[in-house]
Amino acid sequence: MTKLSPYLAFARKSFLGRSAYRFDHFMGILSTVLRIFIFWEIYRALYGGRAEVDGITITMVATNFILSLGLESVFYVNDYYLPSRIQNGSIATELLLPVNIHGRMLADNLGHALFQLLFHFVPAVAFSVLFIRIAAPAELSMAFLFLLSAFLGYGVLWTVSFVAQMLSFWLINVWSVMTIKNVFVNVLSGSMIPLWFMPDWMRGVIRFTPFSSIYFTPVQIYLGQLSLTEILCGFGVQVFWILALFLAGMLLWKKGQKKLVVQGG
Amino acid sequence: MKNDTLHLAGVYTRTVMKSWFQYNVDAVLRVLAVFLREATGIVVIYFTLLKFDTLNGWNIYELLFLYSLLFLTYGIFIVFFTGLRDFGKTVRDGGFDRFILRPRGLLFQLIFSNADWFAAIGHGGLGIVLFVVSAGNVGIRWNPRTVIYYLAAVAGGILIQGAIFLFLASLNIYLLETDSLKSLLYWNMRRFAGYPISIFHKAIQFCMIYVVPFAFVNYFPAQYLLRKEDMAGYPAVYMYLTPAIGVCLYLAAYGFWRYSIRFYKSSGN
Repeated sequence: MTKLSPYLAFARKSFLGRSAYRFDHFMGILSTVLRIFIFWEIYRALYGGRAEVDGITITMVATNFILSLGLESVFYVNDYYLPSRIQNGSIATELLLPVNIHGRMLADNLGHALFQLLFHFVPAVAFSVLFIRIAAPAELSMAFLFLLSAFLGYGVLWTVSFVAQMLSFWLINVWSVMTIKNVFVNVLSGSMIPLWFMPDWMRGVIRFTPFSSIYFTPVQIYLGQLSLTEILCGFGVQVFWILALFLAGMLLWKKGQKKLVVQGG
Repeated sequence: MKNDTLHLAGVYTRTVMKSWFQYNVDAVLRVLAVFLREATGIVVIYFTLLKFDTLNGWNIYELLFLYSLLFLTYGIFIVFFTGLRDFGKTVRDGGFDRFILRPRGLLFQLIFSNADWFAAIGHGGLGIVLFVVSAGNVGIRWNPRTVIYYLAAVAGGILIQGAIFLFLASLNIYLLETDSLKSLLYWNMRRFAGYPISIFHKAIQFCMIYVVPFAFVNYFPAQYLLRKEDMAGYPAVYMYLTPAIGVCLYLAAYGFWRYSIRFYKSSGN
């Protein structure tokens, strides 16, 4: 427990730090709600009264958007945690501290994510559900498996960012890299277009990327679209990506550390 | 005096461009990143329409044409209005005090002393690509009348967005901090503007037409050229109003700016 306590303190600090920006936070919730409503209106127009398209009902589409855009607000990752420290040189002091910098980064992000879960996800989803019909979880067990899968989904998103952040050892400015990374996440994860409606060849490509593991796997589990075997497979894929990306990131970290030159002090 | 002003604008522009493109590789990457970030919504609508064919009667080319107006106007607009977009920061840093001490118009300095060229090329480039892809496939007969209308509509769209930013910049003088208000009034409303507004709830349509008139930046001008059926829900005269609304709003915002600037108090530095 004592080993964990500094990280808990980091998480707590990050959690509390969020409550300082009240108006911005409110605007963030509004923005999530608006995005959910925009997609809802678009799909209502696209469905034009049809009960279902390819076996997907509009309620399933609505559920996909509410859950994945809601989770998007929870899945907080600070893409610039390492880059900013590498750029301003404070990484040097951080490396001397008796805490693991990656653990600290994770704790910081998790504290923020917990805040978002309570004060962004809950109000945004509660408000949306007042106006838009959302499907209930297929079974109670599926609700539980959804939570587990969502947690792993966060792990995938976090490790994707982890790898991208390592590039800051070699690039002066990683803003472009992060922006392009986020384009891929947005288009391929299913938060802006439910992956059911992607053309077949795109779904073929997406299968080999980590992106559908972030939001789409949990959503499918919630809706009861996957058999038990498929769910286990889904978990396996999520864990695979977390491990693979984390290892790749650590490899770059080791290489980058050797190259690291901090000017001044 | 007149030539002098033009000359100064030229010098400003050269200097600004130099500073933005100092690091070549980085600049190219940033432009590409802005381009791709803005293209996200378009890629999504493209894939969606591969499945659904039309959105409330609009096919993919018509939707791309609607989008192209939004990006083209923003691409041109940001060359002139970056200083107003970032006005809040200028005020908070006390940088505005320097502007006041110089013997030139404040708005002139704000407009010419900075230009977000990455956004201009990213958004503008995307607008041009979308225009080229869509303009030949939406059944518009390009003749002098439609070309003049199109140019006037683009100019009107630029002025409407310029008026919104000038209005927000003026509010900055009283409030010091308007970033959140800007994201509410401008960026959130802009999210809706990529689609035919007829698909949205009446309250949203009302906001888009009468509160933050994005509908006049792209929806009504596109309707003049495309004549889709959903135009029946609005007065036909709206298709002709964009340039007039642009000029009126901009003059109103300019009046408000002139009035507000007298109350400017430095934030100190």
